[in-house]
Amino acid sequence: MNVYAVTNSSEVAAALRECVAASRRVHLFGRGTRNRWQAAPPAAAVTLSLRGLSSILRLEPDDLTCSVEPGVPCQELAMALRQKGLELGCLDADDSGSIGGLYASDPLGAPNPGASSPRSTLLGIEGVLAEGLEFRSGARVVKSVAGFDVHRLFVGSHGLLYAATLLHLKLRPAPRVRAAFTTDTLDVAGAVDKFIEMRRNPTMPRRLVLVREASGCRVAGVFAGRARQVASLLQQHSLREVDKAPQDHLQQPPADRELVVGIVRASKIAALADILPAAAPLLVHGGGQFEAILTPAEVDVLFTALPALEAHAAIAIGAPSRVRRTTPLDQGAARLQRDLRSALDPHSVLA
Amino acid sequence: MSGNSADYALPPMTSVVRELEALLGKNRTISSRDALLAWECDGYTIHRQLPLCVVLPESTAEVQSVLRLLHRRAVPFVPRGAGTCLSGGPTPVEPAVVVELARMDNVLSIDVDDLFAVVQPGVVNLDLTTAVKHLALHYAPDPSSQSVCTIGGNVAENSGGPHCFKYGMTVDHVLGLTVVLPDGQIAQLGSSAGPRPPQGFDLSGLFCGSEGTFGIATEITVRLSTDQPCVRTLLASFADMTTACLAVSDIVGMGLVPAALEILDQATIRAVEASVYRAGYPEDAAAVLLVELDGTAEVLHEEAQEVREVFARRGALRIEEATDPKDRPRLWKGRKGAFGAMGRLNTDLYVLDGVVPRTRLVEALSGIAEIGKKHGVVLTNVFHAGDGNLHPNISYDGRDAAETARVVAAGHDILQLCVDLGGSISGEHGIGTEKLDHMPLMYRPQDLEVMARVRRVFDRDGRCNPGKVLPNRSACAESQKWPQMVARVLGEEGRR
Repeated sequence: MNVYAVTNSSEVAAALRECVAASRRVHLFGRGTRNRWQAAPPAAAVTLSLRGLSSILRLEPDDLTCSVEPGVPCQELAMALRQKGLELGCLDADDSGSIGGLYASDPLGAPNPGASSPRSTLLGIEGVLAEGLEFRSGARVVKSVAGFDVHRLFVGSHGLLYAATLLHLKLRPAPRVRAAFTTDTLDVAGAVDKFIEMRRNPTMPRRLVLVREASGCRVAGVFAGRARQVASLLQQHSLREVDKAPQDHLQQPPADRELVVGIVRASKIAALADILPAAAPLLVHGGGQFEAILTPAEVDVLFTALPALEAHAAIAIGAPSRVRRTTPLDQGAARLQRDLRSALDPHSVLA
Repeated sequence: MSGNSADYALPPMTSVVRELEALLGKNRTISSRDALLAWECDGYTIHRQLPLCVVLPESTAEVQSVLRLLHRRAVPFVPRGAGTCLSGGPTPVEPAVVVELARMDNVLSIDVDDLFAVVQPGVVNLDLTTAVKHLALHYAPDPSSQSVCTIGGNVAENSGGPHCFKYGMTVDHVLGLTVVLPDGQIAQLGSSAGPRPPQGFDLSGLFCGSEGTFGIATEITVRLSTDQPCVRTLLASFADMTTACLAVSDIVGMGLVPAALEILDQATIRAVEASVYRAGYPEDAAAVLLVELDGTAEVLHEEAQEVREVFARRGALRIEEATDPKDRPRLWKGRKGAFGAMGRLNTDLYVLDGVVPRTRLVEALSGIAEIGKKHGVVLTNVFHAGDGNLHPNISYDGRDAAETARVVAAGHDILQLCVDLGGSISGEHGIGTEKLDHMPLMYRPQDLEVMARVRRVFDRDGRCNPGKVLPNRSACAESQKWPQMVARVLGEEGRR
């Protein structure tokens, strides 16, 4: 495997230019922990490792902002923020991946309204187009509407539009108390009702998931705030405090199964569950992103049914020929997606 | 580079107007010069330009028909909502048809379980909150003009407002958009299920804040928020601005996230107190700080106490608190009416919206005062202190060309100061035409080139709100030649 290890933006640009000149495709790579969300790159592709861009360049506690290189490990940033009494709302302190990977893969999608996400915390970016053009978008202050928000395209782009070399992020004060919670086992209808009830609560949980397992359904999550407030919320919703926060993802599927990732509205979760086989694991986040583990045939059935639920999905893990297959986008959006890739990566270098 | 310059020659407009009249009828196709005066400018009155004509579509299908026609005839167009924009966004810079969307003002659906509403772009911001109030819901983004500005305009500008410190900007509340692209094709960006489909790019996030240069959003799916059970509003007055800013830092430093943190300076307080927006603010104070907390009663009790302690520690001259919902509007009345109250100071008002890191607020305000003195202009300040989003207001007489030139020059210096302090030239008003020449202060040519490429994806031939957001090459080259820029802006003025 041909690997470029780079340590700054100029080296990223030089490596990309070299690849364009040699007509070689490039696979952007962080710490490799999120490959489950990405199709395998073509065998001939060069790997451009961004692990060497690993500095926290700026941390301004009073301004609630920081600037970090994409190769910074999530755990390292979480630790640095904790020492200052801060948090990055979308950061899981146990995440073994890199910050760049977190933003490029956007593994939880849009948040529930009480939480934050890569989408809501990315203030600006420094990046490099595949042809080697270094550019900036956005700003490092918490509010800016100057120019087009090219940086927003990085979130969930899986490194297919450009390489990020610096991310400006919005922080918030760390809450005084956190409490992980769960309901008892419920049937699907009961779990959906609880899920909708909690989404409507003025004080939303920082994390909220509905999980269907072989044993039944439950709603779990994390409340954060002041001690009395958190205790009151647990009581109000008849929730049980537990030691561990809920899992964010389903386990790796077995070889004969596929992992499907999608988005669905809360009121359609019961209908979604009806479409899936009763034994199929399902996890839905408060913001509507869901994961399910299914056989390829079951995925095909699901994809046929999803448009009626106004839901969308894609195959995240599966056979190479099927990964990234999605429910159809409307023609206008599909054209824009295609043209964006052509505009920012005209030589189709990024893979 | 800019993506602005259109490669087309205008066809004879009389025939285009006749075709538009055939599509929408004469009463929704306005072309008489007198009537067009209403569309001559927005809230940024320094730049004025009559459109070729104005059309008033009422549905997505009509917008699509209009844009297909204008595409076929190679005519530029400018989308427009209520015209409350403060940066010249919906004012043409070259001959163009204005597509006015105010008649598309229906709330199409409200979903209580899934907490969203689908609205047409002409729905007034506050009207949506009014429509869902009985459900204990609201639409969170609340620009100061929320009683008149439209949600379509808010999407175009990615509007903020006093409460975006805690609740985010418009983009954080938009789930999906039905967009008519400049060539008439319809694109669905995001959906009620979420703003970005799996394995898709964040097109809805990109569209928000594109200032009407990417197409026209004809249906907007927005997130609704649940009303907080309790709100407490505190107001403290201070003997100097520095102390008021330090109190804000203290509050944020304690880990509190108030819903709003707003400061008014003495000149603003006095203008407000002399106006119909009189709120009982102490006129001898150098600054008043308005803090709004929301949440459950038990939390607010603790938080309000902590805020009071900060006020006391910082030597506040006077502290007021509204716990009664009927008393809150009084404390807010002066803040909400501050821009209106400026009308007492002179005939015209130029409202800037630069941003600085919050810790640089004191430096920024001091610099702004110096700039006011240097250019001999009347400056007042009211700002979103939590975000570092300044609103220096310059009151002036727009009929006086020399004074207007000083105002424009002062504006430039203020935005340069914001950039020098690590900030941005715009926090919520957008670039429009007002800040075209200031974009090179913040972005290099290659940054603008990347933005131009993205723009061309949506608007291939540069007919959708041309001349906005991205400066052309000559403007970039002139960015260091300020006198020429002033002359050019006033040249626009001369077209009146």
